[in-house]
Amino acid sequence: MKIWAIAGITFKEAKRDRILYLLFFFAAVSISATRILAILTVGDRVKIIKDVGLASISIFGVLMAVLIGTSLVYKEIDKKTILTLLSKPLRRAEFILGKFLGLVLTLFVMTVGMGLIFLAVVYLHTSRIEWPLLVAIAYVFLELVLITAVAILFSSFSTPILSSIFSLAFYLIGHISWGLNLLIKKMHAGAGKAAARFLYVFLPDLENFNFRTEAVHGLPIPSSIFLYSILYGVCYTAFILALAILVFRRRDFI
Amino acid sequence: MNGRSAAARGSATLALLAVLLGTCAAFMALKLKTDTIVRKKVPGSSIIFIPSGKFLKYATFGYSSLAADLIYIWSIQYYSTPTIDDRFTHLDHIFAIISDLDPAFIDPYETGSLIASVEAGDSRLALKILNNGIAKNPKEWLLPFDAGHIAMMNLKDFDLAQEYFKECMDLPGAPDFTRRLYANALYRKGDLETAWQTWLDIYKTAPDEQVRKIASNHLYQVKSAIDTGRLKEAIGRYRDLTGRLPSELADLVRAHILASLAKDLDGQDYVYDPQTGAVRAATSPWKR
Repeated sequence: MKIWAIAGITFKEAKRDRILYLLFFFAAVSISATRILAILTVGDRVKIIKDVGLASISIFGVLMAVLIGTSLVYKEIDKKTILTLLSKPLRRAEFILGKFLGLVLTLFVMTVGMGLIFLAVVYLHTSRIEWPLLVAIAYVFLELVLITAVAILFSSFSTPILSSIFSLAFYLIGHISWGLNLLIKKMHAGAGKAAARFLYVFLPDLENFNFRTEAVHGLPIPSSIFLYSILYGVCYTAFILALAILVFRRRDFI
Repeated sequence: MNGRSAAARGSATLALLAVLLGTCAAFMALKLKTDTIVRKKVPGSSIIFIPSGKFLKYATFGYSSLAADLIYIWSIQYYSTPTIDDRFTHLDHIFAIISDLDPAFIDPYETGSLIASVEAGDSRLALKILNNGIAKNPKEWLLPFDAGHIAMMNLKDFDLAQEYFKECMDLPGAPDFTRRLYANALYRKGDLETAWQTWLDIYKTAPDEQVRKIASNHLYQVKSAIDTGRLKEAIGRYRDLTGRLPSELADLVRAHILASLAKDLDGQDYVYDPQTGAVRAATSPWKR
């Protein structure tokens, strides 16, 4: 119950954040502008609309998660309101989980909003709802959930600017970590290769949530990857949240 | 009370650590599992979205040379991974990006052309990459040198090869033997007069006995080609006049088709086969 109370407050707090509306406005403009961008191309206009639209949802979603998520916990510490909160019968873990769920709810609303605008733009061109696009948007949301957890982790011990940099670095690493596999294949067996292999498996692989290419080109997606990607996202998010709680429990606010 | 609270905290920390380890093991295992699932790809999709180097240059905030280095290093790994079936689809695009980011970076032109000609088996693409480098580095001899080799050895386009070697040998730093490659390309192209003049010049200016010997052998080859060509033409005219092949080469002089019979560079007569009308030099140029 306490978690949901914190989540509700966080949702209300995030709703009042101007940056959220600013980012949503830019996302809406970016998605709508795909129609203009498509006019400039030669060939398949719908492909450009889908590509830019899905990328806009993903990029602006990540910016929302990072920019709001990194200041959530920090603001409570900076304004000392955390002292009032923690003097109540409220566990630190409940506080972190509440903040996380509140932001996830905010991002869900934002993703639904951006997704509806995107689907409307696509519908104007194709006169039909394309279900693979919904799948791609759903996995973008799953990626945002993980990024939110990361932003909260960094926010629990660092300033918003540093946390934003760390979270964006996590996002970038998550999308290029597959490249480590190329390096591993060229390494000789030994400690170096084992370390690289561990790093490859340990680092986030956000490509597991990237079904944009398949959705745009109408490629078949293996059914097993849906489940494993969801489980991967849930486990990684749980790991990051557990780490955030562990760090936050050890913090001294006085 | 305090002791119980500390124990509760300790067990909560332990539980958290267990969650950490459990989730870590789970996502690592899931990562390995998802790696085994093969997902369909659009051909070349792994690099199709890399923008043009001209635009990328602005995005590097002054670090275009560093970006070129990184893309070059990445491209070597990428193109040497045989499991990526469609890796050659956008080969020229990638090396054009590196070239746009750092036009004076010579290695990528060489490596790119090597990948195109040897790995992808596309010599025209290799020349396209090298031509881009030549246009941006007109004083670099290595690029026309490589292009000349590809034109001569792979495409057998000797006219194009002699153009590249000519361009190369006029550039500072080009090795002396480029002139020999140029002369050989001229010979194989069929421009025997220019080939003779070039080999003669190489012979006269040879820095050592070895080069002089090489030039001499080629002069022998070129002279033989010129002489046997003339003899074959004369034999054809003789056959047109008499309706038969000459029984010996001296018949050509007796029939006033030739004023005299040419000899090879070593003063030997050319070998004639009256059955077939074929003419050849008495010795191989390389066994003199």
